[in-house]
Amino acid sequence: MTRTDNNKPWTMRHGFAIAAALVAAGLVLQATCGPVRWQTLAWPVNIIVLAAYVATIAAARLMAPRWRPLRFLTTLAAAVPAIGAAVVLTMVMGLTPQTADGSWFSSMLTFWPFVVIYAYMALILGLVTAKRLGRKPRLADVAFVLNHAGLALAIVATTLGAPDMRRLKMIATLDAPESRAMDEQRRIVTLPISVELKRFIMETYADGSPRRFASDLVIRSASGQEAAATVDVNHPVRLGGWKIYQSGYDTAAGADSRFTILELVRDPWQPAVYAGIFMMLAGALLMLFMPTPKTHS
Amino acid sequence: MLWDSFIYFAIAATLLWATGAAAAWRHHRGRAIAATALGLAIFLSYIAMLWAALERPPLRTMGETRLWYSFFLPLAGFVVYLRWRYRWVLSFTTVMATVFVCVNLFKPEIHTKALMPALQSPWFAPHVIVYMMAYGILGAATLMAAYGLWRDSRRPAPRPMAGNDADGDGSAAPDMEGEVTMVRTGWAFLTFGMLFGALWAKEAWGHYWSWDPKETWAATTWLAYLAYMHYALRPHADRRAARWLLIAAFVLLQMCWWGINYLPAAQGHSVHTYSS
Repeated sequence: MTRTDNNKPWTMRHGFAIAAALVAAGLVLQATCGPVRWQTLAWPVNIIVLAAYVATIAAARLMAPRWRPLRFLTTLAAAVPAIGAAVVLTMVMGLTPQTADGSWFSSMLTFWPFVVIYAYMALILGLVTAKRLGRKPRLADVAFVLNHAGLALAIVATTLGAPDMRRLKMIATLDAPESRAMDEQRRIVTLPISVELKRFIMETYADGSPRRFASDLVIRSASGQEAAATVDVNHPVRLGGWKIYQSGYDTAAGADSRFTILELVRDPWQPAVYAGIFMMLAGALLMLFMPTPKTHS
Repeated sequence: MLWDSFIYFAIAATLLWATGAAAAWRHHRGRAIAATALGLAIFLSYIAMLWAALERPPLRTMGETRLWYSFFLPLAGFVVYLRWRYRWVLSFTTVMATVFVCVNLFKPEIHTKALMPALQSPWFAPHVIVYMMAYGILGAATLMAAYGLWRDSRRPAPRPMAGNDADGDGSAAPDMEGEVTMVRTGWAFLTFGMLFGALWAKEAWGHYWSWDPKETWAATTWLAYLAYMHYALRPHADRRAARWLLIAAFVLLQMCWWGINYLPAAQGHSVHTYSS
């Protein structure tokens, strides 16, 4: 049945070997293909990758009884080295200025070993979730599934959704409708809506530091509908799939600023990420009320 | 200014905590509980008064976060004492809280009323308070691990599956269950803090997570405790290794909390810079 000669269980050493092999594979990819190009994941590639991820987990569930390495991936002996590798790589990221100057560590988010290890973690999370869901349900499994599936969903949806997210900067000038904005690649984009600054609002503390800055806006849709709205820091305005955030102003002019800097964000994957986040919050809350699993030291 | 009166509340609270810690050593459980609880009440009332006087949550400067830590650490020790009856734990949490109180007395940082617009959010208080709570609980867990290492180094480890209170000094649970439970609790609060921050960031500027140095180190810390929990749950986990892992995770937590202020790689623009 199994490919190994004896039935001794695989240990954490095997887990470390797998994590090390994945880091090595990541280094080879980095050396041969260059940094990860996230933009290639843009719609519809991301939904295909998501389908492949789900299919892989389903296939792994079917093959697990016959293939030992797949069973090993759902054990603590595989989880600990996977998390350990993520700790080390995230620590490297914390110790290296993220300046994207072309060196490997300075752009960790496009560094293959980092991406491969997080993908490996997402795979393990999916596999253990499927395994738990496949057995006779117990109360303790609720927190387990919320924690593991929630984290998997949060990681997968933020990562796959990132290329579909649009973040535009718009400078709206007083009494002049504006429909142009700049995307993250500094290209000018023309939007089907226009935004006009009616009044810039600024309040300061006694020492002159800003207490509040906000913009009274009139927003016009393509069909000619008008809406007035005040956008404050921490209080964005929602408009047809876009959210408009107060981002900045003419700091030299202060309260007399004649323009306001807005950020327009469109994030179609947000509901999936929120689902993951709320699953994790519910799982963490349940953990507070559940007995600690027995330790066997 | 209300910070002038901090010293009186601080002296009263630390004296009560010390009284409680001494009573715990002498097995006067009732007295220990009463003194510690009273000290916590006095300290908390100071935080509440400061909050009212500043007209904003006192969570912005390093000094203000230290204030919460000096409250949550003895609180976590108090819970450990109530639940596992470690009679040494109150002494440690009292000493550590006193150190933080002294830092605030001798090196107070500027405490102004100003709260920049980005921090004016209903998420601000829960985000920081649950983090400080987590730090307090994980600090207490670290003390339990250090105590466990010290105890095991003095006598051979009890056989696996030995019952509780094997060393007969009134401290129960020679196993790691207490530590693991504390870490699970602390980690749950870390998760709340991190995800409240993500939801706040999404509402405030459109993105959950921007990998600024504080966030990167928060992720590192969160993952390190996650690694510990999975390691400690393995059959035949090495207790010594688990406890060192727990101590290492606490070092990462310090990095996340204040270490990054001294880290060259972490300088530059960050939404988490504490202005003083």
